[in-house]
Amino acid sequence: MDKVVNRWIRIIFYGVLLIVVLSILAQISDLVQLLIISALLAYVLDPVVSRMEGRGMSRTVATVLLFMVSGFMASVFAVFSMPVISSEFVDMREGFDPEKTRLLLAKIDTFIRNELSFLGLQDLSLTGSMAQTFIDYGKALFQNLRSVVSVFSSLIITPFVVFFLLKDGRQIKKGLISLVPNRYFEFFLNLIYKMDQQLGNYLRGQFLDAFIIGVLSTIALLLLDVKYALLIGTFAGFANLIPYIGPLCGAAVAVLVSLLETGDLLQVVYIALAFGIVQLIDNVFVQPNVVAKTVNLSPLVVLFVVIIGGRFFGVLGMLLSVPVTGILKVLFQEWQQTSQQYHLRYTPEASAAGQLVAARAGQQDQSDIHYIGTRRAGSN
Amino acid sequence: MDSFWGNIFRNRESEEDSLYAILKRIPIFRSLKNREVRAVERILHQRDYQPGEIVFQQGNPGVGMYIIHSGNVEVIFEPTGQVLAELSDGEFFGELGLIDESPRSATVVAKSDCKLFGFFQSDLRDLIDRNPRLGVKIVMQLVSTIGERLKRSNEQVQELRSELYVLNQKEHTTELSDG
Repeated sequence: MDKVVNRWIRIIFYGVLLIVVLSILAQISDLVQLLIISALLAYVLDPVVSRMEGRGMSRTVATVLLFMVSGFMASVFAVFSMPVISSEFVDMREGFDPEKTRLLLAKIDTFIRNELSFLGLQDLSLTGSMAQTFIDYGKALFQNLRSVVSVFSSLIITPFVVFFLLKDGRQIKKGLISLVPNRYFEFFLNLIYKMDQQLGNYLRGQFLDAFIIGVLSTIALLLLDVKYALLIGTFAGFANLIPYIGPLCGAAVAVLVSLLETGDLLQVVYIALAFGIVQLIDNVFVQPNVVAKTVNLSPLVVLFVVIIGGRFFGVLGMLLSVPVTGILKVLFQEWQQTSQQYHLRYTPEASAAGQLVAARAGQQDQSDIHYIGTRRAGSN
Repeated sequence: MDSFWGNIFRNRESEEDSLYAILKRIPIFRSLKNREVRAVERILHQRDYQPGEIVFQQGNPGVGMYIIHSGNVEVIFEPTGQVLAELSDGEFFGELGLIDESPRSATVVAKSDCKLFGFFQSDLRDLIDRNPRLGVKIVMQLVSTIGERLKRSNEQVQELRSELYVLNQKEHTTELSDG
């Protein structure tokens, strides 16, 4: 009975602790996001630095060189693409062409009134109410996206943290391992090694997949002459980090923009087809070769974590929620597998070696008593 | 103030030098250049054990080898508790754990206060990726050490077989003479 009560007390204690930790993390969500993004980037870039080290460079030189090359590439990207993306972004933020939006909504309004009269929605005034709501919502969404992590802090702090994680990551890991008690040392070492392998494969696969989908979507949208192609393509790439929901979101944004800009239904069909082909390429060629199969998350889990991520950390939280859940799943799987290999319940006292040591310790105690006894006797 | 820092650095240096000397005596690292030994030193994990503390247990997956910097350990065969060997400063154990994750063949217990340095499979793999030349040198020496040990085990098996054959012959002769 006591054991059951103790177990419940422990469960409640850990539950409360988890809630407290989560609320603290939510309070400092900007910092947590920065750390998560930096850690993910460092993880993805680590093999590149290690390979450069293999060519005879020191870790510091390799990290500096990687940063210089990345900085150069980012500058080139910024010079050529950022004006396009930022102007696309500003255009989008300003709201879509109000006249076209009004016309499209009027069309939908008329369609519902005439064709779907049985629904009893004759008093519906989409044009008035929805147009304003939609435009406001569009503005609010992108304002939130910008304010999630301020551009300044991201640009300065993230590379700084990534640099130190890359350069000193091995020492940090070694320092953390040294804190593990002797009894669990080998277990943890084995666990960390296996997690490291799984996580590395998973994260690198996810990022490479997102990058390929981003490029393919942008090319498809450029070919179809869709406005904001680069911005939507980039969004589709990032959204692809979220299975099931992500690809739909990418396609939905492209369809919506096309509808509001041109109102051409044929182009909508082409966009849907293009996204379908991109997804087909992703499922048939990219994912089987790039993404680790060990981290398959069920649609229900994906839905829940995306909602939770969005609730606590906004749009960025939604994007990061799936990789973070993937990481947690890998940690749990490896913990379970490694625990099965180790006799964690096998106390040292129960082993022959442990008994031998205990017996020796007992003998030593007795000999001490005997020694003290004889000395006392002698002294008397 | 100078003497304070001097003492700290002298102790640290002497500790590093003694580890360096120990590593140079171990067959796996014997053929390495000074710079390479220093590179190995950087990836070792220092662990301190009290008397009676278990370093690793028989049956658990091997993760790597340990080098004794100071202190004594006992190698114990689990089902019987028989002490197979006692190892001290400068000796090493568990090197098969560098090759694969096969279960440890014995339990190792600290007999006195021990300072051990662990060299683990994950770090060896990482080293092979980062510095293949050094990694291959270590692996070749490791293979050579294990091969040497296998040769010795084969010789012992041969000797035991011969002894068994002689014993069987003797028993057979006794049976014949009794009959």
